[in-house]
Amino acid sequence: MGIRFREVSYHYPQNHLQFHQAIEKISFQVSAKGEFIALVGHTGSGKSTLAQHMNALIFPTEGSVEIFGHSVTRKRNRKIRYNDLRKHVGLVFQFPEYQLFEETVEKDIIFGPLNYKVPLDEAKTIALKTLAQVGLDESYLNRNPFNLSGGEKKRVSIAGILALDPDILVLDEPTSGLDPEGKRVLMDLFQSIQFETDKTIVIITHDMDLVYQYTSRVLVMNQGKLVFDGTPEKLFRTAPLTEYQLSMPETIKVLQAINERLGLSIDIYQKTAEAAIQAIKEAVRQ
Amino acid sequence: MSMINIQDVTFSYTGKRLILKDINLTVEQGEWVAILGHNGSGKSTLAKLLVGLLEPKSGTIAIDGVLLTPDTLYEERKKIGIVFQNPDNQFVGVSVRDDIAFGMENLNVPREEMLEKIQFYAEKVGMSDLLEKEPSTLSGGQKQRVAIAGILAMQTKIMIFDEATSMLDPTSRNELMAYISTLHDEGITIIMITHDMEEALYADRLVVLKEGAIFEDDAKATLLRKPERFREARLDLPMALKIQSGLSKTDEKEKRVRDFLWEFVSAK
Repeated sequence: MGIRFREVSYHYPQNHLQFHQAIEKISFQVSAKGEFIALVGHTGSGKSTLAQHMNALIFPTEGSVEIFGHSVTRKRNRKIRYNDLRKHVGLVFQFPEYQLFEETVEKDIIFGPLNYKVPLDEAKTIALKTLAQVGLDESYLNRNPFNLSGGEKKRVSIAGILALDPDILVLDEPTSGLDPEGKRVLMDLFQSIQFETDKTIVIITHDMDLVYQYTSRVLVMNQGKLVFDGTPEKLFRTAPLTEYQLSMPETIKVLQAINERLGLSIDIYQKTAEAAIQAIKEAVRQ
Repeated sequence: MSMINIQDVTFSYTGKRLILKDINLTVEQGEWVAILGHNGSGKSTLAKLLVGLLEPKSGTIAIDGVLLTPDTLYEERKKIGIVFQNPDNQFVGVSVRDDIAFGMENLNVPREEMLEKIQFYAEKVGMSDLLEKEPSTLSGGQKQRVAIAGILAMQTKIMIFDEATSMLDPTSRNELMAYISTLHDEGITIIMITHDMEEALYADRLVVLKEGAIFEDDAKATLLRKPERFREARLDLPMALKIQSGLSKTDEKEKRVRDFLWEFVSAK
C-alpha cells in the first residue's frame, strides 16, 4: 500500500495557462507508514505538481500513480471513487486561506468528516481531538478562522485534514512565513503526530535546516525531474547542491567556515547547534 | 534630515488591542535596517504604515522631511517602494515589460521616457533578456527582481522588503540578498522586515519589535553581544552565535573558534 509513481509525466496542452509546472517521467514510492519525507527543489521545479498527484487532485498525462491499490491514470476510471483515495492521502495547501472557508473553526474541521458521512456528534468529537493535536484548545472552536494569526490558520487547516485520519499527510510549505518559534512548534507537532500514529508525512520546504533536523528521506525535484531520492545525510554529503539550486544547512555552513579558516578537521555533518558544539570540542582536543 | 522619522506612532484596527505602541524610529539615508520580530509583533503593520497603506491612530511619520498626510501621501509614496513576501501577489502585467511599466504608468511618465527607463532598470536587475516573458513563468527570485525594477523605475529612495525572501528557494534567496547589497552600496535606504536571523546579519542596524513595541534598537555588532535579548523577543540567534554560546571562554583552543565565529557574524 502507499503511493507508487510509475513513469509519471504531466504536460500542458498548448496555450494553456500554466498553473502547474510540467514533470517528466517520475518514479518512486512512498510507504503508508512511518516515513518523514522532505520534497525540495527550486521554485518552479514541479514540487507542488508532484504533490497534487499524490491524492489525485490532478491526473498524470502519462504513466500512473497507484494510490492505496488504485491506479490513477490520464483517463478517469469510473470504478475508482477518487474521494476515497483522498481519505488516504490528505493534502494541506501552502496558503490556509485556500482551504478554510467556514465561519467557525469547528465548522471548518467537521466539513471533511461530514462529507464522508461521519455523524455530526462524532465529527464534533473528532474536531475537538484534532484541534488538541495541533495544540489549540477548545476556545478556538467558535472563532472565525479568518481572524486567526497565520500560524493559527495553518494549524486549523492541518486539523481539518487530520480529522479525515489520512494515512499519509502531504503539506505544501507548512512553515513558510512562520517565525523560528512557530516553525519549531509545527515541526515538533509533525514529529509527534508521526511518532504517535505512525502516519507518513511529506513536507514541501525550502528550509534545509528543517530537512536535515527532522526528515529521514529527501526527494529533490530539478526542472521537472526527480533527481535525488535518499537520506538527508547522503544529499548533503554527495549531491550537487548548487546545480539543484539548494544550499547546505546553516550548521554545515558554519562548521565548514571554521575548518577552512582555522585549519581544523571538525566533522561538519551535524544537525543541531548542540551537536556542532560537541564536534568542535572533540576536534580541538585532537 | 532623516530619511524616515516616526514619532510616537500607535496603531490599532478599530476598537481592537494596540498592534503598535509608542513607536519612535529614525532612519538616515543609506542605512540598512533589519526590523525583526516574532509573528504578530507588528513588523508588517509598521511597513504598511510607512508606505501609507495604513494610517497611524496617533503620532506622525515623515519621509525625507515631509510629513505623511492625505495631501502629501501621493507624492511621498514615490519615494518609498515595498517588495512583499509572495512574489505572485505583486504582478499585474502579462509581460515583464508591462510589469515594470505599471508603477510609471500610474505616475504618468511620458512613453519615450518610460521605454528608456524600462530598459535601464531591467538591465540593472539583470532581467533585460526576459522583458517579453510572462511573469508566471519566472523563478521566485526573478519575480522579486522584476518587482524591484518596477519600484526602482519610480526612483524611490527607500526600499522596504517585507519578508521578501521567505518564499524563495535558497539560490533565489542568495541572489536577492546579493542584489539588495548592491542597492545599499548605491545609497538606497533599505528596510528589511524579517524573522530570519541569518538574513538580519546583512544589516547595519537591528530593530527588534516585541508585542507591538520597540524592544531593542542598536548597531548589529552591539546587539549581537546581548543574545538574551533575542531570546526574550522570541527570536533565534544566528547559527554561528548559537554554536559560539556553547564554547568555553577560557579554553584557549575553543576561544580561538569563538573569536572566529564572532568575526564570521560581524563580517557579513
